[in-house]
This record gives sequence, structure tokens and C-alpha cells, in this order.
Amino acid sequence: MQFLVLLMLICCQLVHAESDVHPFSSATEATRFSALTKEIRCVVCQNQSIADSNAPLANDLREKIYHMVLQKKSDADIKNYLVNRYGEFILLQPRINRVTLVLWLLPALVLLIIAMILYPFFRQR
Amino acid sequence: MKQNLKFIPFIFLFALIVLLGWELYFSKHGELPSALAGKQVPAFVLPNLFQGQPSLSEQDLRGRMVLLNIWATWCYACGNEHDMLMKIKNMYHVPIYGIVYKDDAQEVIRWLNEKGNPYALIGNDKNGDVAIDLGVYGTPETYVIDAQGKIIYRHIGAITQTVWDQVLYPLLQKSR
Repeated sequence: MQFLVLLMLICCQLVHAESDVHPFSSATEATRFSALTKEIRCVVCQNQSIADSNAPLANDLREKIYHMVLQKKSDADIKNYLVNRYGEFILLQPRINRVTLVLWLLPALVLLIIAMILYPFFRQR
Repeated sequence: MKQNLKFIPFIFLFALIVLLGWELYFSKHGELPSALAGKQVPAFVLPNLFQGQPSLSEQDLRGRMVLLNIWATWCYACGNEHDMLMKIKNMYHVPIYGIVYKDDAQEVIRWLNEKGNPYALIGNDKNGDVAIDLGVYGTPETYVIDAQGKIIYRHIGAITQTVWDQVLYPLLQKSR
């Protein structure tokens, strides 16, 4: 029991420390920041967002986003800034555009193909 | 008509297999083209590593083909490429501009005194801000920049003689 209380205290400390690194004046900005960092890929890690990563580059990118949020830049502006420099790859969920259209349509296309292949078999019964 | 329809899924499947096969065997692996390739070097200003000397900005890179090398003394591969950079400066006479990435200035100056300084100008990017502006993944990275200040190519990792002979030098020759 004592151990549990101690653990909880430590966790509280950690949470507190985390939020102090990037202080915001409004809750909206804080939410935007945490949402954005979850959508940006840590380009030097394996499939981690920069919110989850402690890599130095992820820290720097978080810092950059923090300042851009403070400067009241819109989500789209921030994402554009990063995509221009690191490519579409940096977004964990790629946006739909000419380059990524195939990526988005492929699953639907594959499903369609499977349906077309299976359809005659089901009709025969 | 119905007979023809039957083949459509297989045509799709065939196209898909061709696409995947092409990706697997013919696309270049491990190459990480800069998202900035073909674009102007973003505007930046960095203080010179040596106090009192002129700062480094994107304006300094204009006028001729140059290399922009992002490096640090704590980066192992940067130590490996240092001899090659000296050679590029002394034998091939291509100006190299340096950006020191998140390093201690004193440490860098000691390193350059000991091993020689291949750089025409060195900017000190203490907190890595300009590196993010350039879309840097890690050190060392080298950008080939043309006379108009446009990024032509980015090489990730140390420059070896092979990389120089096969990739960078031909690029510099072609665009001259």
C-alpha cells in the first residue's frame, strides 16, 4: 500500500514535470500542441510520434511546434512547414493529395478486386 | 461480354503485382531525397563559430556551386569524413560551408586546430533551429547548392571517396 502511494506520488511528479516544459496560457493551445505532436512522425525512430519519442530530433521538433503554436500559427501552417522540409513522410496520417491518392485508394481497390473475384462463386450456389 | 468481365479483377491484380514488383526491384532503396531538393535554401542567419567573424547566411552560398555540410564533433561519421572534406577543399577546390550542429564551440575550435579547417565559413547552430529549417535528419548531411542558391542534392552520411567520385563530383561538374 505504501509502495502504491509512493508510486502515485512519483507519477504525479512526472506528469507535473511534463506539463512544465511547455507552458501554455490557454487550454486550447495546450490541446492543439499535444494533438499536433501525436500526428508528427519522429523521422529518426521506427513509427513513433514525436510525442512518444525522446530522440533529440523529436525534442527539437516538439520545441519548434511549441513555439509555432505560441505564435498562433494554424495547424495547417505548422504541418505545411514540416512537410516542406521533411516530406509527406513526417505526417503519421498522410494527407490526401496527388502523391498519396494511391495510398488512400489502394485498400478500397483491393477490396473491390476481392469482391469481384468472389462474386461468381457465391452466385453459383 | 460476360466472359470479358471475368478478366477485369485479374487485370487489376496483375497491375498491382507489376507495381509492387517495380517498387521491390527497381526503386532506389535507402535514398532519402531532401523535400527541399529543387527549392531555394531557406533563409537563415547563424553566428560564426569564431567570435567576431562574419555570420553565415543563405546569401553566402550564392554565386557558385558549393557544399553545405552539417556536422558535429560528437558525431563519429563526421570524424570519418573529415579527411575527405580536406581533400575536396585542397584538391577539387569546391567551397565547403559548415554548420556545426548542437556542439560546444570550444570543442569544435580545438578539433579544427588539430585536424585542419576545410570550411570557407562555419555557422554555429547551437540549438539545432536552422537544422530543422533545412530538414536535417542527423549529422553528417551535405547539401549540394547551385549558383542560384538552389538545393540540388542532399547526401546523408559521411562523404567517402566513392560517394564523391560517383555522386557528388559528377553533379558539380554537370551543373557548372
